[in-house]
Amino acid sequence: MTLLLFTVLALIALVGAVGVVMSRNAVYSALFLLVNFATIAVMYFMLSAQFLGVVQVIIYAGAIVVLFLFVIMLIGGQIGPVTVGGRRYARLLALVLGAAFLLLVVLGLGAALPPGEAPLGAPQAGSVQAVGQELYTTYLIPFELASILLLVGMLGGVVLARRYRELGKD
Amino acid sequence: MNALTTVRLLLPELILLITGFVVVGVDLLRRRNDEGRSAAFIAVVGLLLAALAALALGLSGTAEIAAFTMAVDAYALFFKAATAIGIALVVIASVGYMAGRSRYLGEYYALLVFAALAISLAVSATNLVLVYLGIEFLSITSYVLAGYLREDKRSEEAAVKYFLYGATAGAVMLYGISLLYGATGSVDLVAVDQALQASGSSWLLGIVAIILLLVGFGFKASLVPFHQWAPDTYDGAPTPITAFLSTASKAAGFAVAGRVLITALPDFIDAWTALLAVLSMLTMSVGNLIALRQTSVKRMLAYSSIAHAGYILLGLAAIGVQEPFNGVNGLLIYIFAYLFTNVGAFMVVQAIEQHSGSNDLQAFAGLIKRSPGLALMMTLFLLSLAGIPPTAGFIGKFYVFAATVQQNLLVLAAVAVINAVIAAAYYLNVVRYMFFIETEEEKPVAIKPSLNAVLLINTVMVLVIGIVAQPFIAWASESVNMVIAAGF
Repeated sequence: MTLLLFTVLALIALVGAVGVVMSRNAVYSALFLLVNFATIAVMYFMLSAQFLGVVQVIIYAGAIVVLFLFVIMLIGGQIGPVTVGGRRYARLLALVLGAAFLLLVVLGLGAALPPGEAPLGAPQAGSVQAVGQELYTTYLIPFELASILLLVGMLGGVVLARRYRELGKD
Repeated sequence: MNALTTVRLLLPELILLITGFVVVGVDLLRRRNDEGRSAAFIAVVGLLLAALAALALGLSGTAEIAAFTMAVDAYALFFKAATAIGIALVVIASVGYMAGRSRYLGEYYALLVFAALAISLAVSATNLVLVYLGIEFLSITSYVLAGYLREDKRSEEAAVKYFLYGATAGAVMLYGISLLYGATGSVDLVAVDQALQASGSSWLLGIVAIILLLVGFGFKASLVPFHQWAPDTYDGAPTPITAFLSTASKAAGFAVAGRVLITALPDFIDAWTALLAVLSMLTMSVGNLIALRQTSVKRMLAYSSIAHAGYILLGLAAIGVQEPFNGVNGLLIYIFAYLFTNVGAFMVVQAIEQHSGSNDLQAFAGLIKRSPGLALMMTLFLLSLAGIPPTAGFIGKFYVFAATVQQNLLVLAAVAVINAVIAAAYYLNVVRYMFFIETEEEKPVAIKPSLNAVLLINTVMVLVIGIVAQPFIAWASESVNMVIAAGF
């Protein structure tokens, strides 16, 4: 049952991933990316990493894809359909490097994971409680730092992005 | 550990955090013609209080904690105190420079305070997550500060270049961290070391992780070949920010690199000392050779700052357990001396820039007749940069060079000495312009009182560290003992 579910999900995710690269229209690419993110989120749930799954949906599928769409639609009118540029050797090189990377990932995972049934985390390991517990104890300072970082990033963004008005005028 | 102890140990960070918010708040209430003075004043007070808190914690001796992913130890406290003082000087120097150049002065000073906070968390980090967040926090504040002069195209260029290189270097460093995490299952520096010792088989992986991590640290410290952003960013950024980027920000890179390499990767010491030795030679040589050809003094100091990163790196490349030159204490002394020297040198450039609108060598011509005080101070800073006694720079160079000799890295020592000679040539060229080249310009350089104060503090510190070196050497040596002892 798990295997069947996994196979179906993996196929959908793969189709999504290929679609991102193959689409001529950038909007379709972004939507295919959404498919990919959503299926991966389901996989996280299957691995009992609920928190990661929810975060994947909210941040990646929600915020980031929407951001992509905004950007595409803001500049979309002028760029037209996306064509794959570059010279022939560039494509060949990309193919070789891509294949090499795939090999690396397969070999790496093969070496790292023990043979047989993939180990599942404890049912509670990926829960919101477990993550929250860690965040507010061990990782309290990085957590707080991240919030200050976002605030300062916002401050800096406003300072840099506000329309410049000449000094002395209001 | 009770709450009171935690608050005491985190006092420098808490002071900086509160100061940052107060500075933004005060700026909202300021009077029209204030030009950010009240914000700057509060920022300086907060920074100095944080430095005092760090010094007091260091003196109390029992400051060691290793919880919440941080270590409040002598090593971290040294850098906290030094960088907070350095940034306070930068804030004072900014008052005259930034007034009238930007509308958002409160935010400017707040960002500098937050940069100090970022450094002080990064140098304490004993966990790769905090290491990454601290460095990234520092980078983000620095990008904004580098691009603060919105009406100046070169300032924008400075920020964009810094941002693009920084984002890439950050991503590469994160990849290195993920490799270490994948190999050891932990992001805690000590746990990483233990896991690597226990497994003992992941030599190649360790090397790759070290290289990737060094990309991130090397970017912050502007080591060759991760330095391409540095000349344009140093040149285009507001001059006080250049002084900040080339001293305090750089110090953070070295401090973090030192702690991560010593604590998490002591098993790989042969590998990373060899790597750092090569990087150090490259950095010194490239920085100095290009600096030799510059006609803009600001740009020359930018390249010289790259070269100095090479000298500072000698300390880590020649790390050892022997007394009295264990390398790392040299690194600390060098950074401390360099902080005052380089901020001073950039401040003289800033004064000339504001006076004549140019930072070309020609603008320095005949300075000894026009403003003898400024010329003498610049000469002192340049002598210190060249490493000539009795200045602070000499003590720093002596300690890192001696460490290389003690470790029998004679090639490294020879390259460093040759580089010091090359560097002296272009430093003294500025002195030649100030003393011997005639110019029609006769007006003395007008210096704002705030800038004058910074110049005086730097002059005094350069001389004090150079002449009464012993307390500073003892401070630096005590600061590194614990980290080295824990690592090896």
